[in-house]
Amino acid sequence: MLQRSLRMLCLLLVASLLAVTPFVQAQAQVVVDFYYPTAVDGPITQTIQEYATKFEAMHPNIKINPVYTGSYTQTRDTIRTELAAQDVIVDVAVMLATDLTSFVEEETIVPAQQFIDRMENGEAFVANFFEAFLANCRDEEGTIWSVPFQRSTPILYYNADLFRAEGVEVPRNVNELIEVAQKLHTPERAGLLMPVAGGFPIWLYQSFAAGFGQPLIEADPAKVYFNSDASLAAVEFLTKLGMPTSEGGFGVGPMGGSVWGDTPTAFTSGQAAMIYHTTGSLTNILRNATFEVGVAFLPSGLPNENGEGYAAPTGGGNLYIFAATEPEVQEAAWLWVEFLASDEVQSDWGARTGYVAATRGAWEIDPLKTLVEEKPQYLVARNQLAHAYKEFDSYRSIDVQLIINNALSSIISGNVPLSQAKATLDAAQAQIDSLLAEYR
Amino acid sequence: MTRRKWRSYLVTAVTFVLAMIWLMPLVFSVLMSLRPATEPINVGNIFFGSTLTLDNYHNAWQVAPWGRHYLNSLIFVFGTLIVQLVTITMAGYAFARLRFWGRDVLLGVLLLQLMIPTGVLLVQNFATVRTLGLFDTHWALMMPYWGSAFGVLMMRQTFRAVPFELEEAARSDGANWWQLIRHVYVPLSLPAYISFAIVSISSHWNEFLWPFIVTRSEDVRPLTAGLNKLFFTTEVGAQYGQLLAGTLIVIAPLVVLFVFFQRQFIESFASSGLK
Repeated sequence: MLQRSLRMLCLLLVASLLAVTPFVQAQAQVVVDFYYPTAVDGPITQTIQEYATKFEAMHPNIKINPVYTGSYTQTRDTIRTELAAQDVIVDVAVMLATDLTSFVEEETIVPAQQFIDRMENGEAFVANFFEAFLANCRDEEGTIWSVPFQRSTPILYYNADLFRAEGVEVPRNVNELIEVAQKLHTPERAGLLMPVAGGFPIWLYQSFAAGFGQPLIEADPAKVYFNSDASLAAVEFLTKLGMPTSEGGFGVGPMGGSVWGDTPTAFTSGQAAMIYHTTGSLTNILRNATFEVGVAFLPSGLPNENGEGYAAPTGGGNLYIFAATEPEVQEAAWLWVEFLASDEVQSDWGARTGYVAATRGAWEIDPLKTLVEEKPQYLVARNQLAHAYKEFDSYRSIDVQLIINNALSSIISGNVPLSQAKATLDAAQAQIDSLLAEYR
Repeated sequence: MTRRKWRSYLVTAVTFVLAMIWLMPLVFSVLMSLRPATEPINVGNIFFGSTLTLDNYHNAWQVAPWGRHYLNSLIFVFGTLIVQLVTITMAGYAFARLRFWGRDVLLGVLLLQLMIPTGVLLVQNFATVRTLGLFDTHWALMMPYWGSAFGVLMMRQTFRAVPFELEEAARSDGANWWQLIRHVYVPLSLPAYISFAIVSISSHWNEFLWPFIVTRSEDVRPLTAGLNKLFFTTEVGAQYGQLLAGTLIVIAPLVVLFVFFQRQFIESFASSGLK
């Protein structure tokens, strides 16, 4: 009896060993730790997991370990903790496009260029991305460091039913914007809600600085144009939006602007005729509005000879591969990056989340192709990219942004009178210049 | 007589107003979580919107594996508390009743620890956890909290208030040190233990930063990590209904606990001086 069970046990052991062997071989695989933040709603975790599963089926020797890391800021903090402890776990991450300069400077990441150069169709791969998004992927010399993934851009949303009823045309420049906003403004309904209240006015402000003739930043990350004439005109314009007409303002919205998070619901519930907001909100706005929603390019600039004055920044996150990662894992991470930046994934990701698919090819295939046919509003965001500028990213980017946001908020909120706006911008510029002096 | 009557009415009225103010966030959360997402608070019926809906709960439920997060939070909170109760009893007794070389200096060092903000130790603790090979496990969550300077201090004070005669009597009956603790000190200090447990549970239930830094997988992360997903819709703007539905899912057990242990709750926070 005992002998029999012993024999049985041996048999089982051998059998299980045989059964396990293939798994042992399969376990000799590369594991890629992928950190991603969320900035839009919806079951993002499941979507990412779906992509990982699909990718692993294509590359059986690679395992993707997706790690949700909170907001963009929390993601950066988590990665900074690992860097500080000199124990870097992350292999590839989605971080803000504007984190590029700091991470390049600290040599934390490796250039995507080194992988692209080895691709057979490297040039085509790069050319497939929209140029406006690539502007935040390159350094001064033109080396590509990161790859666009979840990118966005602000657009103009307008109540198309109301426009039709009142017989107004969609504004194409700042002058028309004010004209239309004033015509549609009533005590119950703001003519235009500009979400620049709170801590982050810099994003929308950039569209006006560029629209008035001088973008806040150009190719050189050591040079910031905050006290230019265009910048002053932009700040004055933003401030006057909420100022009553009796005080020389335009009086088309609340003083100091509206709050970012509340603006879409204010629009969909009919409390605003027009709003500036991200393309990321398009899905929610289309779903929640009871009227026809119109979408147009940001009329943030002075009219050119055609009467058009369009300008917008880009936003969102790119994919970064880390320098501390072993070379073979970097290779695997690159395959994952290539997969996430492929037309198929970009098309699906764009359709599900509202981010602007970053490749041209993504718009030619389903599900995005069908979506655009049903809801042409999605196409506007893509087409606006022709008028889009690089998003602000300088050396010491976080510190410089803080200086700019503080200066902008103090003027737009009315705490600093417009007569002192120029002096405030000059003071902020001096602070920025002293921060950036060592990088020139 | 009438004056006293008036005064009692006044006290009741003031208490009522204060209770209403206190209740407001909770009521607001419940109302908002049942409102359709399409209707901000200033549209339609101020309380319920045009209709009541559970959509927000449905959506919030999809965003994270809440069941798993619940289990993790329970393991984290009680795994921490049980060990804490043992360590603070031992250390509290030693500091209260034993005489040994360097006792007061040691107590001073312990007091100093109360003044170090946890954020400062983040990187170092992270490195330690990695070295120990406990990264991304429940152990990593709990371990830094197993010793509690606050708890030790609290038990020291409580044990010192126990009449020394009781210890002498027990000793003459032949009790050894652990019988002393078990039969004399612990039973007489139950209110302090309850206070400590409540403070410990509610602070670890709400803990976010540390768990987020030392864990990476959903299988280990506590409830706050799930709630975080609802909070960060920064790009598209706040989804209040969903966020508050998620918040209610997370705080439900604490609210139930509070209803039952109201009195201890308030006393524990008042006596510990924490908020």
